[in-house]
Amino acid sequence: MMRLSHFDFLAPATIEEAVGLLQSKGADARLMAGGTDLLMKIKLGAIKPGFIISLKKIGGLDQISFDPTTGLTIGATALLADVADHPDILKHYPTVAQAARGTANVQVRNMGTVIGNLCNASPASDNAPTLLAMEAVLHIAGPEGKRKLPLDQFFKGPGMTALKPSEIVTAVGVPVLPPNAGTAYISLSARGKLDCTAVGAAVMVTMSGDVCKDIRLFVASCGPTPLRAVKAEEIIRGKQISDDLLAQAGSQASQESRPITDLRASGEYRTKMISVLTERVITEASKKARG
Amino acid sequence: MKEYSIVGKHVPRNDARAKATGSALYTDDMKLPGMLHGRLLRSPLAHARIVRIDTSRAESLPGVRCVITGEDTPKVKYGNWRLFPDTQDEYPLAVDKVRFIGDEVAAVAAVDLDTAEEALGLIEVEYEELPGVFDVDSAIREGAPVLHDYCPNNVSVNRKIQYGDIDKAFAESDYVREDVFTVHAVSPAYLEPCSAMAQSDLDGRITLWTSTQVPYIVQCLLASTLKMRENDIRVIKPYVGGGFGGKMELRAWEFCAAFMARKTGRPVKFTLSREEEFLAGRRRHAMKLYSKVGFKKDGTLTGKDLRIHLDGGAYNAMGPTATFLCGNFGAMLYRYPSYRFLGEHVYTNKPPASAMRGFGAPQSIFATETQMNIAAEELGIDPIEIRIKNAQVSGDEIPEVATVSSCGFIEALEKAAEMSGWKEKRKSLKDGRGIGIGCYSFISGGVFNWFNTQYPFSAAEVRVFGDGTAHLLTMAADIGQGCDTVLKQILCEELGLKMEDIRITSADTATTPQADLGAWGSRLTLMNGNAIVEAARKIKAQLFGTVSAKYNLNVIYDMECKNGRVYPANKPDRGMSFAEAVAMTQKANRGEPLVAFGYYTPRGKGLVTPAFSFGAQVAEVEVDKQTGIVEVKKFWTAHDCGTVVNPKAVEGQLEGAIQMGLGYTLSEQFIMDGGKTLNTHFLDYKMPNAMDMPPSEVAHIDTYEPEGPMGAKEAGEGLAIPTAPAIAEAVFHATGYRCRDLPITPEKILNGMEELPQAKSKPAARK
Repeated sequence: MMRLSHFDFLAPATIEEAVGLLQSKGADARLMAGGTDLLMKIKLGAIKPGFIISLKKIGGLDQISFDPTTGLTIGATALLADVADHPDILKHYPTVAQAARGTANVQVRNMGTVIGNLCNASPASDNAPTLLAMEAVLHIAGPEGKRKLPLDQFFKGPGMTALKPSEIVTAVGVPVLPPNAGTAYISLSARGKLDCTAVGAAVMVTMSGDVCKDIRLFVASCGPTPLRAVKAEEIIRGKQISDDLLAQAGSQASQESRPITDLRASGEYRTKMISVLTERVITEASKKARG
Repeated sequence: MKEYSIVGKHVPRNDARAKATGSALYTDDMKLPGMLHGRLLRSPLAHARIVRIDTSRAESLPGVRCVITGEDTPKVKYGNWRLFPDTQDEYPLAVDKVRFIGDEVAAVAAVDLDTAEEALGLIEVEYEELPGVFDVDSAIREGAPVLHDYCPNNVSVNRKIQYGDIDKAFAESDYVREDVFTVHAVSPAYLEPCSAMAQSDLDGRITLWTSTQVPYIVQCLLASTLKMRENDIRVIKPYVGGGFGGKMELRAWEFCAAFMARKTGRPVKFTLSREEEFLAGRRRHAMKLYSKVGFKKDGTLTGKDLRIHLDGGAYNAMGPTATFLCGNFGAMLYRYPSYRFLGEHVYTNKPPASAMRGFGAPQSIFATETQMNIAAEELGIDPIEIRIKNAQVSGDEIPEVATVSSCGFIEALEKAAEMSGWKEKRKSLKDGRGIGIGCYSFISGGVFNWFNTQYPFSAAEVRVFGDGTAHLLTMAADIGQGCDTVLKQILCEELGLKMEDIRITSADTATTPQADLGAWGSRLTLMNGNAIVEAARKIKAQLFGTVSAKYNLNVIYDMECKNGRVYPANKPDRGMSFAEAVAMTQKANRGEPLVAFGYYTPRGKGLVTPAFSFGAQVAEVEVDKQTGIVEVKKFWTAHDCGTVVNPKAVEGQLEGAIQMGLGYTLSEQFIMDGGKTLNTHFLDYKMPNAMDMPPSEVAHIDTYEPEGPMGAKEAGEGLAIPTAPAIAEAVFHATGYRCRDLPITPEKILNGMEELPQAKSKPAARK
């Protein structure tokens, strides 16, 4: 039955206060930004927290800012809808906006946050693969002060992250993209236009003419966390992109991932699609990189 | 088409404002003082003997007012097929055995939902697990586990139809084609989960408010299962958020609400969660269809031999009717000189399948239409031409099955071809694009009286008043399809009144006339429309008498009721207002209220239906040949529903049908692990949403159904049928992959394309 269990709702005004509450309530407390994942888990009976600590009252945490030298910062309570429509993001990081816009439906985007989507650590997250490809860095606050953690060291398994007890992700930073960089993200699902991802791929390529100088390629929903296809990258890096090379990289990316069969797709279909999506995202990103 | 004043016009629906503003009250919105909240304990096992149930801990939980199991109830089996009591195979709560995961075992009523939910966890049930069967092939095998003792081979119902010499027909055919098709189960997924609230008065009479399509059936079956008299039970249908066939039986929570209300003396309400609906709710039948069909070289049909196994799940529910209809519809659309059908309804340890929009016809016609498309391909004939060659026409008769009085099928085929640019597109679409056709026919209500009612199939009471208004009372259930509006339109047309002049009271078994079999089988427009017309004509006869007397008119004059006036057709000035005519008629009868009843029960139309609808739908798709993902670009539909009573309502039916058809064809399915349903929420039950809806064009084919009110027949369910075969053919046209097992998933398309002969010789084309 879809009913919320009883909990106390706490809304601290500062990060320090929130960290303090996390310390005092321990494992019985959960952090909430938009609550679109958290409340579902409670309704389904997967967790029964005694305390919910909302981040929504903390001033400035919903900021989205862009600086031409340091890049983009998305605060912990910035909504998916705000990220999807933000002019600076649309201009400088269109794939970040696209991934936010591709997350769930309009109601969820008006409640949910990018950071929440990351901290939920679902292998099917729409926002993780693109941010990983762009070398995003998490800003974390905790009892021992602030620290930064590259996003590619954050995911440890489905629902598991590198956060230590009582730590809070306060923002995600995305560096200024290198010159001649292009990004792309494609996800597939069983239902046409509005669905959770059954398989996805995101890439950032840096081009020099027809030659790919650098590449970061991630596949989604094909392992316990978003996976980096390191060997597929090697096939492309430093080379002139050709159909043949793309096909090789696609099949290598398939071999590197270990998709399972679940409700949303079979492992076999996912394996095939990693190849197809790898070719497509690299093609699209390299096209964008060359302007 | 004949011009009417209100019939055929864009009349806004009665309920539009209430629904748009949120003021419409559904069952779950209602609360009564002292009301208890009910919850059901469901079986976690697919097949098991109940050894022991201990409810004592649940009963002692503070706030719990009542806990019941099957043993506390009168233990009366029920089912809609009362005519054949053997088929009534369900207890309101399990007795001795559970037969599917979700089978109702016990019920709790408590002061709030949390307490009721907690109490469920305190009921101890000891089961002895039994082996289960989860598909029809295993279930009919010798030695298979038996679900119901009365039915040792697990085949609960069979239906045979035969005419013509089928063996001779195949022997004389130039081309004979045999295929096996499988179609899957889907959920009606109505927006409003089932809900029922019961109250017992001091005399022990029950009032039940419930989200149902069939108030009368619920009244009768509630009476039999409670061992009460029918008239001591009043069933009221509030606003209902869709049914699609899934709410057309008595259900466990309706029984439990009533039983527990009597036991506690307090009102009791049950509302199902979406998870319960997906886990245990009624489904469309999965089927395995063996179809053999013969043709002459020129595409003329010679005969068809159809065998179907319906996967009925654990109980009959409306399976017997689906078994009949898939047989009947195997022989519709085209002229089969010979036909043989054997349908068998098979028990399996899964949630019961039942009625769902089309009721056996979508499955049967998917096979018919796909096979027609295959035959067209292999005989080198255009799919639309081969259909026109064999199409049924007005006046066709099939013994005991069909009397086709009106049929616009050929016109629909021609119109669909013209609207879609069929001829050009079949030749010139680019690689990955395809266009395909599917057709349908459907009933306008059923004839076969399986419920064994002693009442007419539909009834109407019309009261008219001296202020120029009327009150229509009917048991017809508006479940969102809009019959309250359509039936008012029919009465307005007949009496010459305006929509705002009519008050309607519907679907209350204590105040509306006996009886009505319910909202299913697309029956209300025709059957209730006819009852209303009859009642209105009785009223008019009296008003005409009054006007004739007042003006001393010649008895041969034709009289009319139009625009709020009653007058002789060719002497309009010698008339009076409707209001005056009513008042004068009453005065002539010492003030007696002016009331009339009308009834309809079909006669002389065979055992299936008084009237058939027809139609054709063309789909254009684009298939991504690397991912297998299908996008439907556009639908064109030409349909024959006789006189269109409310064009907007018909278009709404078409849009809804396309949405359901898209899901049925491409994305919706239950993912099962044996008897366990794994996808019990909308996140993983992939129902298409607004963003997936392709553009669509529609043409109403102008026909007049002599049996229907003002020439009308069905427009509700038939439209849900053609979408699957149309998309399947378009996918074939685009990719070469021919689907014989729904749904058409991307993976099936990719695997199917790999198996094509040309795929093995040529490398796959790059995007």
